Parts: sequence; structure tokens; C-alpha cells
Amino acid sequence: MNECAVDRRTVIATGAVLAASLSLGSAPAGARASMDTRTTPLTRDITLSVNGTDHAIRVDTRMTLLDALRDKLGLTGSKKGCDQGQCGACTIHVEGERHLACLTLTVAVEGLHITTVEGLAEGESLHPMQQAFIDHDAFQCGYCTSGQIMSAIACVREGHAGSDEDIREYMSGNLCRCAAYPNIVAAVNQAKNEMERG
Amino acid sequence: MRPFAYERPTDAATAVALASVPASAHVTAPVQYKGGGTTLIDLMKLDVMQPTTVVDITAIDDEAMHRIVPSDEGLRIGSLVTMAKLHADPSVVRDYPLLTESLWQAASQQLRNMARLGGNVLQRTRCLYFRDTSYDQCNKRVPGSGCAALDGSNRGHAVLGTSDQCIALYPGDWAPALVALDARVEVLGRTGKRLIAFADLHRLPGTTPHIETSLSPGELITAFIVPGGPRRRSLYRKIRDRESYAFANASAAVAIELDGRTLRDVRIGLGGVATIPWRAHRAEGMLRGQELTEANARAAAEAEFGDARTREHNGYKVVLGKATMVRALLDAQAMEVPR
Amino acid sequence: MSVGNTAAPAPLANMGEPIRRSESVAKVTGRLVYAADAPGQSPLQAYFLTSAIARGRVLSIDAAPAEALDGVVKVYTHLNAPRRIATPYTQKGGYASDTNMPLTGPEIHHDGQIIAMVIAETYEIARDASHRIVTRYDATTPAATIDSPGVDILHPDALAEKEKKAGDFAAALAAAPVKVEGVYSTPAQHQNAIELYSTTASWSAGELTIHEPSQFVVELANGAAAMMGIDPSKVHVVNPYMGGAFGGKGFMTQRTALVAGAARELARPVRNVVTRDQGFTLATYRSETKHHVRLAADHDGRLLAYGHESWEMQSRHDDYPLAGFGVTTAMYGKPAILTRVNLVKADRQTSGFMRAPVEMPYMYPLESAMDELAFALDMDPIELRRVNDIRESPIDGARFTSRSLMRCYDEAAASFGWSKRDPTPGSMREGDWLIGYGCATAGYPTHMAPATARVTLSADGSARVEVAGHDSGQGTYTALGQVAARELGIDPERVHVAMGDSRLPAAPASSNSLATASIGSAVKLAIDKLRSRFGNALPDDRDRSAAFARLGVSEIGDLGEFLPPGTNPEVLGMLRKGQVPFANQARGDESKNGKPLMFAFGAEFVEVRIHRLTREIRVPRMTGAFAAGRIVNPRTARSQLMGGMIWGMSSALLEATEIDEKRGRYVNDSLGEYLMAVNADVPRVDVIMVPEEDPEVNPLGVKGIGELGIVGTAAAVANAVHHATGKRIRDLPIVMDKLLA
Repeated sequence: MNECAVDRRTVIATGAVLAASLSLGSAPAGARASMDTRTTPLTRDITLSVNGTDHAIRVDTRMTLLDALRDKLGLTGSKKGCDQGQCGACTIHVEGERHLACLTLTVAVEGLHITTVEGLAEGESLHPMQQAFIDHDAFQCGYCTSGQIMSAIACVREGHAGSDEDIREYMSGNLCRCAAYPNIVAAVNQAKNEMERG
Repeated sequence: MRPFAYERPTDAATAVALASVPASAHVTAPVQYKGGGTTLIDLMKLDVMQPTTVVDITAIDDEAMHRIVPSDEGLRIGSLVTMAKLHADPSVVRDYPLLTESLWQAASQQLRNMARLGGNVLQRTRCLYFRDTSYDQCNKRVPGSGCAALDGSNRGHAVLGTSDQCIALYPGDWAPALVALDARVEVLGRTGKRLIAFADLHRLPGTTPHIETSLSPGELITAFIVPGGPRRRSLYRKIRDRESYAFANASAAVAIELDGRTLRDVRIGLGGVATIPWRAHRAEGMLRGQELTEANARAAAEAEFGDARTREHNGYKVVLGKATMVRALLDAQAMEVPR
Repeated sequence: MSVGNTAAPAPLANMGEPIRRSESVAKVTGRLVYAADAPGQSPLQAYFLTSAIARGRVLSIDAAPAEALDGVVKVYTHLNAPRRIATPYTQKGGYASDTNMPLTGPEIHHDGQIIAMVIAETYEIARDASHRIVTRYDATTPAATIDSPGVDILHPDALAEKEKKAGDFAAALAAAPVKVEGVYSTPAQHQNAIELYSTTASWSAGELTIHEPSQFVVELANGAAAMMGIDPSKVHVVNPYMGGAFGGKGFMTQRTALVAGAARELARPVRNVVTRDQGFTLATYRSETKHHVRLAADHDGRLLAYGHESWEMQSRHDDYPLAGFGVTTAMYGKPAILTRVNLVKADRQTSGFMRAPVEMPYMYPLESAMDELAFALDMDPIELRRVNDIRESPIDGARFTSRSLMRCYDEAAASFGWSKRDPTPGSMREGDWLIGYGCATAGYPTHMAPATARVTLSADGSARVEVAGHDSGQGTYTALGQVAARELGIDPERVHVAMGDSRLPAAPASSNSLATASIGSAVKLAIDKLRSRFGNALPDDRDRSAAFARLGVSEIGDLGEFLPPGTNPEVLGMLRKGQVPFANQARGDESKNGKPLMFAFGAEFVEVRIHRLTREIRVPRMTGAFAAGRIVNPRTARSQLMGGMIWGMSSALLEATEIDEKRGRYVNDSLGEYLMAVNADVPRVDVIMVPEEDPEVNPLGVKGIGELGIVGTAAAVANAVHHATGKRIRDLPIVMDKLLA
């Protein structure tokens, strides 16, 4: 395990920057001077556990989980619709809870279990929520669908699918511009029954 | 986003030591704490915040920061508890409807699973001129640069607690509930812990809108303490353009106690209308000991907004803010409260 | 199909089967590849820096701090931009959706214009670098709203044909006993498909491959070739699936050639994904409009006069006029008519398609005014439409090929429970909530464009349909498969449809709700040709292999070429060059030379609830009934109509791009601040598809439904708000501010 294996040079570099910023401490109060003179990305070697598989990757500390999934691991099912936590298209599960990959730093989820839409089906056998989305035409363009399905599965597990009203409220973090909303509610209802049986 | 060093300490003291560096305000400090990251990462992408070190506090192995503990004196809520965990807590659902409602009506479940309560109360304004660095006027972002919102697009801006330097709205939902309940904040600094009144956490913009809180750089919120026991006749009314996943146009957190129709106690926190989580002291003073009628509630709301200052597009917030307060009080009166 | 599955309505007369989308499994498993997902190239990342002013000049731009970052490959500004050749506006024989060509000089013509492009090894580096570029401007006060000082208001002669006139309007108005008049406005809006705009460009042996979401791949390929100065055969656009488009991905923007130019110079693939906020200024949008409408009627409600003058926001450099009078004058009665359109030229980017681009902003004021007239007459608004239902155009007497408007009203009204409405405003309440019912007409012309498609039948009984069409969620893959299967007499599962590739047989833009009608007709014509190869009867399963053996082939294909009525074969050449459809299509709202009017109609009903104190508006239910000729697939059709209705509700209550008037800039340029409907806003939507046959419109009898659903909703909401409160809000969106005032 190289959990947060601290790169010695990183620490030194940080210290240097901090020292530099201290020396700038007499700058006008609150001036929005970027005290950062750093021009080189800081990277880390981490192991990312996605859909039951460990991936050793080197990431820029700035890299979001969404970009890491898409660009480092080739898991492009999670979508970028806003990149600022406002659309839900990047919804994934972290330790079984629904999170937004676009606001998650990759370095911050090392050691945690991540599930993406690619990890739902077992072989050719679809998850009941995936099948329900097909049955109820709960998508049109399909771009928000990965996020909707990840959100919907969590919605059921959380116990927030007890009524249509609950489903609508707890699925409101996932925008669907095609506006398949009533069909999504119908799909969640169908899958809920199967998930609770199964 | 600028390059940054990432640290994930497992104890609070180390986190505080890493973050205690000089800065003019905690929000501009070069070392920033990250809980859920839902505000910080967003603002870093926008280049509004430029920390050189991010200290991830979610791995801090201090049980008290992760727990909700009801006791006779009230409720102690660790700062690393997520919004989702608190709003689903059965004792909170039963005893503090205003806390539960102010949380589930905020953001989305994904964000609530990520966001920690310590960070929640510190979320930054949604002022469009603050969030977009291409505007060169923003006293909050660049002190002394001016305020584009004053003569700009200000439908979403504050009408209470403003100054000529800044009219940015405090956008949160939970904080108005906390301020109504006289909550306290437990803060860990290099020299140890201190308790501050929640009402003192946020600062009015005045002439220094870039200094948003009374926290020093490096100070870490570790817990919230809500005194006084259960508030079963309480609720949160949030009025917004769309039904969900939107910030408040106006909101009111109220907790009342009734003797018949007479208000034995009344607490009102307002959101969506002020630069800080707003305690409606003036309205409370007028209502305490009085009958709760729509007319009395209106008079109190009128008084509370007496000093409101409006701009071109946000005049409706005065009307709406008053209506929201009245509605919340009447709805609280009509609540079925289990004994 | 499970019983009670409202998503899959049982087909009524003249409807196909409600089969599932052919790409369903790929969509629910995350396997579908959208443009920015295209794997395997490890492209360089391009990130745009856009202007902080709406008008003026860049005085200096210092890229050195950006170039100093490790991983930055190049920073392009107007001083060193990749070489491109300007192309004219789409409606003027070129390919540009906006002719303002960034990085060709220091001038700034609108907010958020591209002023630099950073190319870096990673996205993180490119974005960081863009923030470090230091720009100094010489800013000029912009004129950016319809009422701003400094705009130019034009009344071009070229639009005269669109300004419909009949009779003596002034005299008819003066003599009429009942009149209403109002000024209405619609806001700027953005399409905001959830899929971001993006371009990935790579060069190999002088050939350019582009992955970019596009509603018109043939246009994009030809346009990119023109701007790169290469032969169109050297450009290959690949875009099989889009994550929504709604008009935003209609015609080529200036981004494509910038990215392709960088890729050519740097000899590496380059990808640009436009951020959400940049998308507000780096593509077209729905610009704001203003309308002065006058209606007059006799005491029985018969229309005597209809006057409509409009103002439409435009960029300074291109005209995208709507002038939707062809639609509004085809709705009702035989009044005297006077219409006029004004173009308001301002410091803005060029506007363009957004779902029902013409119909939404023009039908909202007409349908609001009709409700005002009904109120003034003390007449039921449905009855006012009935009194004025027509069979022929009030302009020139042209007939409609079919018109089922009142059937739609009757079915929707019955389902909605309109008879429970007490017409007195403010009279219906439940607790603290005021209740309002409103209705309005939806109408959308049946447009058609030339299209070509190749259909290949194999000896094993499978078939292939190839066409450079598009599917941004409408269900075009599925519908074309069904059209082909029906004509071929095989199961839809045996038809493979290939689209979204500029090297396939040319198809028009997926816009104007014309895809199924136009491409589907080409498919049918291709199959007609195939049939003739087999002696006018396609072989069935039993004799297929023998029939193919006789021909000595294992598969046989033919190209169908569909020419809309009234167009000549030259339009096929224009189509293959990606020339815009306006010049070469048949419009349903044009009736000259004896050509009939072709329209789909609908009736939309809305219930609103408004809190008596806080005045927020909620829509617990909507009902729409629509008649649009043959429905190829009731499942995908219902979804489209439902989505359209929700769009209309969202448009009425939520969506407006706010403009800082002083600075001429869009301020709410995010999905957190530009509000669109979420799931909780839409408790119930009932869609009724009214059977209708119209063999005259095109070989398939299909009218098009992609936009119909949105058209009447905004007015229905506004009319319901009036019913609930007595307040008539004439400027959209109807936000609580306006009801609290």
C-alpha cells in the first residue's frame, strides 16, 4: 500500500511556497495575489478501486474523479454535464453512497470502493434499475442516464423511494434536459419492487 | 485550478498545525480545509480560491467530529457529519424538524452525502460577480475593487445586512436554523478549543466583505452545539423558483412554543434575504408573549424588514421575505406536534 | 410490455408499435460513445479564454505566465492564431452559425468571445493556464438589450414576404366591438443540452477527422473543409449519438476550425470541451423577443382583426430572423391582418435554433391574447378557438392538408376535467393555494427537406439503412428502423441503422422536426427501388435465398432520394454540400402557388397552484392532446411530446438568461443559476395522441413531433396564472417577483 506515500520533494516544495508566501505577508491586506508561483503539477501515485478492480495510476492532485474515470481508466459512462455539481450526470457510488465525481478529488478517494454505471450489469444481465429505465423509456438522448441510474439505485437503497413524491424530490439532483422525469419515476417504482424482492 | 499539495492527516491537531499560516482572512488563506469539497473544489476550478495546500479533514479519526449526540442539554453535532446523515437521524427528525427540513431542502442528495456540516455553514455566496473572476469588480474577491452587483444583475442579492461594499447573499439553509436556536460552534485552533456563538460566526460585510467569518486562519470547526432541548414545533419554509435543487429566494426557520394561541417563545432565522444567517430579533421581540395571528405576524415581519435596502432587481425579496416569515409562523402554529 | 406501462401506449389507428429504442442497452450501461468519449487518441487539451467585455478591443494580452507552466504546448491569441478561411453565414451560402471569427483581430463583438486558446498536455494544466493570461481591454459601452440605447432597429425588405397581410386592418380594428391589446416578451434562453459542446480533431495524411456533436454532420464536414481550405472529401465527421441538442448543435460554430487548425499546426489530436458557462456564448441561443399584439372580434367571438408587430434581438453581424407570422396567421378565423417584424441589432452573439425557435416566441403572445379576448368576451377559451377554427388560410385561402385542432381540444379538455373550471379568476382554492386552469393551442408546420438514404437488403433477411442523419434523443434510429422494417416486411430487430457520419448518404439537419418525415421518405423510396429489382414484390423468408441466388448477389442496396414537393433536383446537390435547409426545403407554413398548408396541432391544458402568501407557482399536472399524422412509434413519440410540454412549462416559469444590462454580459451562465425543470417540478403529464391520417404531406404521412409539445405550454401556463390570480403576466418567465409586485 502506498497510501498517501508522501513525496519528499512535494513537502519541500510546499514548504518553500509557504515560506515565500510568508515573505509576501506584508502585501496589501487581502490582496488577491496568487501567492503561488508553482508552475509544475503535483502528482501522486495512487490505487483506485473501481467496480471491484484496483488501478494503479499517477494523477495530478487537481484531477477530479470524473476526469480520472474517463481519461485514465477509459470509463466514459460517467458524464460531464456541468463540472460543478449542478447536473448529476457524473453521479457514482463511493462506498455505496451516491456522490458527484466532478467535485471529488481523485486523491481523496484512494482506498474507497467506487462503483460506476459500468459496474452494475453482471455480464449481459442488467441491473433491475437498468431494465426498468428501458421498460419505461426513462431516457431519450441517454446522456444523463448513467447518473440517473446510479442516483436511482441509491435512492431506493436510502429508503427515499417510498412514494412518487419522495422519488421526485430525491431524484431532483439529476437534470434531464429531454425531460423524461415522469418515466424515471415509473422506472424507479418498478425497480424498487424488484430490488426489494431480490 | 492551481497546483496544490494534498494532505490527509488523521488527527485534528495535525490538520490545524498544517493550516495555521498567516493570512488576512481564513477564506483567502493559502492552506484550506476540505471536507466534502463541494464548495472548495468548485471555487478552485473557477480560480476564485487558489490554495497551495489542501488539507483533507475527512480522515480525521476523532469520533466526536463524526457523531450526533443528543443529550439533556441539547444536541451536539460533529462537524464532519454529512448533511445527509443529520437529516436522516431519527432523533433529529422527531425533535428538530427545522434542522431536518433545512437540510433535505438544500442541494441534492449527492451533495448532501458529500458535504460536511462544518463546511456547510461556511459555504460561500452565489453572487455571480464573485464566482466569475472575469469581473474585475468584487470587494469580496479583490478588496477595494468595487461591487458590480450594486448596479448589475442583483435579483438574487441580499436586502438585509448589506453595505455599500457588498450585497452578496448568504445562500445556506441550515445556518438560519442554527442561528434561530442560539447554537454554539466549537472551534479548534493552535492554542486549543473555544466556543463561539453561532450568531458571531458570520460577519456582516461592512467595509471588509472579504472577511466573512470570525475564524482565524487554521481554526477548525469541530462541532455544533444546539442547546435547549427538542424543538418539536419548528419548521423550515423555503421558497424558490423551482421545486427542488435550488437556492432560496427567501426562507424562514422558526421554532415556537404556544400557550393556546399565545407565543411563549418564538425564534426566527431567515435565509435567502440577508448577507449572513439572519436572526429576526426585532420580529421575535414583537411577537413574544403575543397571540400568533396573521396580522401580528405581518406586523412583526414589517418591522423586521424595516431597514431593508433594495436594489434594482431585488425589491421583491422584501415582500417575499415578509410573506415567508408569516407563512412559516402560521404553518408552525398549525403543525400537529406529538406529545 | 408490462400492462399499465404508460411509457408504451398501445397503438391507435395509424400508429406503429411502441418498441424500445434500439440503443437502449448501450444507454443504460454507459457503453454508448458520445463525441467527447471517443477513445484512443490521448489528445492535447484545448481550453478557451473568453472575453470579459461585450464590446471593445483587446489592448494587450500577455500569455507568458500561461506559457511558463509545464505542460502548456501553445497559447493562441489573435496575434498567432491557426490559419482559417472565413466562411459566410449559413443563410448566405456559407457554413458559419455566427460569422464573427475569433482570434483574427483585437475587436470584441459580444460577451464571452474567444480571445485565446490554450493547448496543453492535460485539461488541468490548460484550464489553469487560461486563468493566468493577463488581458487589458479598451472597453466600449455595449448595447445588449432590446431597449438599450445604441441598438439599431432594422426592418429589412427581405422579410417582406414573411409579413402577412390581409384586408384593411385599421378599419376592421376601428369597427370591432371587442378588442384586446398587449405587449408581450420572451427572454433569452439557452438550449443547455446536458452534453457539453466539444470538438476532437485529428489529422492523418492530410485528412481531418472530427468528433463533435452536430445536428448536421454534412454541413459540419463541408464547413470545416471550407475553413481549413481542403476538399470536403478530406473531412470525416463522426458523431453517431448526441447527448441532446435542441438546436444548439445545429450549424458549425467557429470553435471547430480553431481546434482543427491547432491540431494541424501541432500535428497532434486536439480536444476541446467547452465549459458550461462558455457554452452560453460559444454557440447560438434563443434570443429575446417583444410583441405588440392586437385582437378584435365580434360579440360571438369571430375574429375581425389581428395585428402583430415584433422585435427580435440579433447580433450586429448576422441576421437570424424568425418572423413567425406564417404560423400565427394559420391558426384562426378570417380577420384583417397586419404584421411587421423589426430586427434589433446589438452587441450580442448570433442567435439561432432552440426547440420551436419560431413557434415558441410567436405562439406565446398570440395564445395569451386569445385568452385575454375570451375573458373580454366572457367566453370559454376553447369555444373561442372553436368559433374561429378554419379549413383554409385567412391570407390566401390555401387549404390545410389536415387539421385536427378541435379534436385535440375536446379530447384534452375531457381528460383534464376542464368542465370543473369556474371561469372567475381567483375563485378556485384549496387551503392556502390558489388554483388556475389554462389552455392554449400548439401548432407546428410540417417542414421537409431533401434527403438521401441507402437501404441494403441481405439474403439472410437482414437490412441496413445508411444515412448521415442524427439522433439526439428523438428516437430516429428506432423510427427509421421501423419505417424500413414495415416497408421490407421484416422485424425491426433485423434492421441495422447507421447514422451520424458525414460519409454516409447525405441527410438534412435534424431540425424543424423534419427528420423522420424527410429521411423516412428517402428510406421508403430506396425500398421502392429495391422492390422493383425483385419484380415489384420483395421476396419473403421462404423464397429470399432463391431470389438473391437468381440475382447472383448476397446483398443488394439502393439509394433513395427524397425531394420535398415543390423543390427541384438541384436541392440534392445543395444538400450534399451541406447548404442550409431554408433555401431548399418545403415549409408547412408557406402556401404560395396553390400549395396547401401542412401543420400538426395540439391542445395543452395546465393546472397551476400559487401560494396565497409567497406566490411561488407550481404545476401539479399538464394534459396535452396532439394530432400529427402517422405516429411511427407511440413510445418515443409520447416521450418527445411529454418532454416538449415540460420544456414549455420550464420556459414559462423558470428559464431566462439574465443579462447585466450595463455590461452586456450573461450572468446566470450555469445550471445552478439558469434554472430548468427538475423532477420535482413535474408531478404529472398526460399525453394523448389523437389518430390522424394525412397521406398528402409526404410518402410516410408523418408530420413531425419534436417541437410541437413546447409550442402552447407557455401560454397555457400564463393563462392558468391569470385564472388563479387575476393577474396577466405578459413577460416570461413568470416568476414570483411579478406576482408579488
